[in-house]
Amino acid sequence: MLVPAHHIVALPPPFEEPPYPADVFAGQTALVTGGGSGMGLAMARAFAQGGARVAVMGRSLEKAEDGAHQIGALGGQVHAMSCDVRLPEQISAAFDEAERVLGAVSLLANNAGANFPILAQDISANAWNAVTRIAIDGTFLCSAEFARRRIAAGQGGAIVINSAQYIWTGFPGDAHSAAAKTAQATMTRKLARDWAPHGIRVNAIAAGFFPHATSTAGRREGGTEALQNMIPAGRTGSIYEFGWLSAMTCTDLLGGLTGQVILQDGGESLRRSLMMPDYIPPRERAEGPWGWR
Amino acid sequence: MGWLTGKTARLAGDSPAIAAALEAQGAELVDQADCDVLIHVAPQPRDVPAHKLTHDQWRATLDAGLDQRFLLAQDFAAHRRAARRGGAIVFVGAPEQALGADQAAAGGALGNLTKTLGVEWARDGIRVNTVQTHDRGETLGNLVAYLASDYAAYVTGAVMGVGLDD
Repeated sequence: MLVPAHHIVALPPPFEEPPYPADVFAGQTALVTGGGSGMGLAMARAFAQGGARVAVMGRSLEKAEDGAHQIGALGGQVHAMSCDVRLPEQISAAFDEAERVLGAVSLLANNAGANFPILAQDISANAWNAVTRIAIDGTFLCSAEFARRRIAAGQGGAIVINSAQYIWTGFPGDAHSAAAKTAQATMTRKLARDWAPHGIRVNAIAAGFFPHATSTAGRREGGTEALQNMIPAGRTGSIYEFGWLSAMTCTDLLGGLTGQVILQDGGESLRRSLMMPDYIPPRERAEGPWGWR
Repeated sequence: MGWLTGKTARLAGDSPAIAAALEAQGAELVDQADCDVLIHVAPQPRDVPAHKLTHDQWRATLDAGLDQRFLLAQDFAAHRRAARRGGAIVFVGAPEQALGADQAAAGGALGNLTKTLGVEWARDGIRVNTVQTHDRGETLGNLVAYLASDYAAYVTGAVMGVGLDD
């Protein structure tokens, strides 16, 4: 169903009008994991709009280079690298490379993640390990590498983490991601506490539905038009407003912000009523429009 | 261009940092119920152990931290609906567990009220968010101004703090 015409839908300003000046990150380098596409690319573009040099990290160099190309189109320096965020040695090498090419990394966006709907009973050990370790270990390892370098340099910095709106409710049909995304949010507060004495801030965005070319919804037959009425806000999110909020948490405008998990989901995770559609176990909706079989 | 250029904002309660940020972002501060943005800052209650709280003290905290906020928000939303225009509400107060049991009750109630109103009024284009914090400085001002602006168009029903002890 389409959103009824008499409903009012709140919209963000256009992409060309970011919420911060074009030099808010001038002289700084941002490293974005999984920055070659989707939400990571949105974060990377937002940093670039604020004048940061951007290191784009991806498991696939080709994808990272694609993203870097789009970021470069906004002006400013960008560098693509390949790295598996589960491997500390690769992370260290990637930071070395980023710093050699672009200068000291003072901003970090942890976005790398894999996610796909699957019944819990069908998740293989490999799939479980991949999804949870990319998000949980990857976020920890990249953040710790970042912090060690900032502490050694005697300088602060800012970290932002791409978490999800289903971290407080569970996510039936996505058990690996439900676990992984919550770990990212709960480590946010503790990392922030550990590194506050060093001037390093850590925040997370509990992100809702921001369809893009590489998301499950983005590949949905018939597109995302029919999904707009599902969200209380009357629309799915525009990916650049996610990028902006992520980057905003790293600006000096919010210099006192740390340890926070900010929900940005258009009310999606909060919709609830006494009467709801009948409960259908995930295994029985596996063949439906959101089918994964 | 500021985040709130062209918008009218009503700041109920006392916060110089929020007033400064709203004005710096281009909002016109007004004192009438009919406006684009409503910010409500509750006074911080004293920290009194539960067994020493009088019922009057208890009531005063719940009144300022919850009841008055709901009624004000209700009135604001009625005006926005009548005008067929969206709007934004930001509640600001102390962290839920930072003070006495009165604040724990009022703060928790406010948080879940925020989540509820954010959804209930979503299709009126009215967003509702809350910041519960010890902070009184520039970050609070900027965060509130951002939440009140169209830049936060996809943020509603969110409850957050500012610093580690929030």
